[in-house]
Amino acid sequence: MDLYLPIAEMPMNLFLLLGMGAAVGFLSGMFGVGGGFLLTPLLIFSGISPAVAVASVSSQIVANSTSGVLAYLRKKTVDLKLGLFLTLSGIIGSAIGVWVYGALRGIGQLDVVIALSYVAFLGTIGMLMVVEAVRAILAKQRGTPLPVRRPGQHSWIAGLPLRVRFHRSRLYISALPVIALGASIGFLGALLGIGGGFIMVPALIYLLKVPTTIVIGTTLLQTLGTMAFTTFMQSATNQTVDVILGLALMVGGVVGAQFGARVGQSLRGETLRLLLGLLVLSVGLRFAVDLVARPDELYSISRMGGW
Amino acid sequence: MIVRALLSAAILAVVSPRLHAETLVTALSTERVYIESNFTGSGVVIFGTVERDRQTVARPEPYEIVVTLTGPLRSMVARRKERVAGIWINRESSELPRVPSFLAIATTAPMVDVAGNRVRAGQGLGFDMLPTRGLPDALPPIRTEYDAAFLRLMQRQGLFTLNEGSVEFLSSQLFRAPIELPANVPIGWYTATVYLFSGGVLLAKTTQDFSILKGGFEQTITNLAHRDPALYGLATVVVACLTGWLAGVAFRKD
Repeated sequence: MDLYLPIAEMPMNLFLLLGMGAAVGFLSGMFGVGGGFLLTPLLIFSGISPAVAVASVSSQIVANSTSGVLAYLRKKTVDLKLGLFLTLSGIIGSAIGVWVYGALRGIGQLDVVIALSYVAFLGTIGMLMVVEAVRAILAKQRGTPLPVRRPGQHSWIAGLPLRVRFHRSRLYISALPVIALGASIGFLGALLGIGGGFIMVPALIYLLKVPTTIVIGTTLLQTLGTMAFTTFMQSATNQTVDVILGLALMVGGVVGAQFGARVGQSLRGETLRLLLGLLVLSVGLRFAVDLVARPDELYSISRMGGW
Repeated sequence: MIVRALLSAAILAVVSPRLHAETLVTALSTERVYIESNFTGSGVVIFGTVERDRQTVARPEPYEIVVTLTGPLRSMVARRKERVAGIWINRESSELPRVPSFLAIATTAPMVDVAGNRVRAGQGLGFDMLPTRGLPDALPPIRTEYDAAFLRLMQRQGLFTLNEGSVEFLSSQLFRAPIELPANVPIGWYTATVYLFSGGVLLAKTTQDFSILKGGFEQTITNLAHRDPALYGLATVVVACLTGWLAGVAFRKD
């Protein structure tokens, strides 16, 4: 059954959309990440213009992170103050991202910037995750515990000026890295159509030493705030959010996420991280191959000043 | 008798050829196509008759019909990828001002048999004669590699189609030309142009407008997105939050 998408101005199979939403939702529920980094490329590969894909996925991320945030709020594992700092800086980053998106689209270099960014981020993060997970699995097999970083130990980053106390996370750290982190994630979110959880989570754990129990809830809060703003901005300035597309993805996504979460709980942590690392790495590789391989068609056409 | 009639017809044709040339009467099967949520493509049929009267000259060659359906004009950019430091990126580009976003051509016979290059160039008729930089000229347009890429890619997307032989005569004068509208057909005003040829000469031409519109619900959404984008954005965020909240409630375990 085909569904006509009014903003994308093309029909797409409803079950394909629900299926893509569900598959990505399943993975995101399993791994505890947003899944935007998978969903946006999937939509682009199936023929939806990058502008509409990036903007509409942001609405899907809002839906996904809403149910997540509510669950973590009930468990009281969200640092509201830290989340607020990250969200406000994320909104600034997002505003810049939406502007850069428009500028790059105008000069025809958006696709290559998106592809290069995906290669760089997914490649780096995926590699780190795989290496870390393999080391953890090997250590477990040999029975030698890995050296554990003590949570009280602050890195030099936390010692920068403008210190702020985050009670819930038991941290007294500089606001500068927090703002920088939030702004970069917001920027990338708007530019690439990703929630940025897969960057935010390790950054909060390893750079800012936020307790692991607090990290996911707080990240989801930041994702919710930033992506709600991005959805609004993309609608208001670029008019590229397709609410029908977004809704189909949301419905698939939230259902898939519930099943993914159950499977995720039954898998071991290292295995989960290894699988996610491999997944992230393979999406990055796909983009890398497209960039390096000689394209079948050297030419492309697009509407002047837009898509 | 016959000789005299022919002679008088020939004299009349020479004296006042316009009065007694054929006229075309055409009609569209529909004036509006609405795109609803289940739209997967549609079609439109152009009907017409070749009107003759008793004094119309006899043609030694058969009538040939060419029908074009032209979508709204848009300015496009064609870009060419080049390898830079190992990766393929867009480098040179070329603008194509005001080219059709959709062009379906249907004919009774192969285009080259219908009319010569000169005649077609003057009308901008056929993909090879379609002006990509301005108005049709007496000479065939000069094609850059970007123009060629534009024509190739539009055909690959199914937005430019050529169906030679798809126009059929139902009687000696009545013809029908079915034209398919693909699912990705652009929204806007269309012009259906019917050309009547005989022996490579253009005898008559008619144009008719029709429009492709979004259906009620689709149009409401598009209107809101374009006329009140802030409200649309806000509504989308609210819908997203509600969906997430509902899912959270529905699947809550405790």
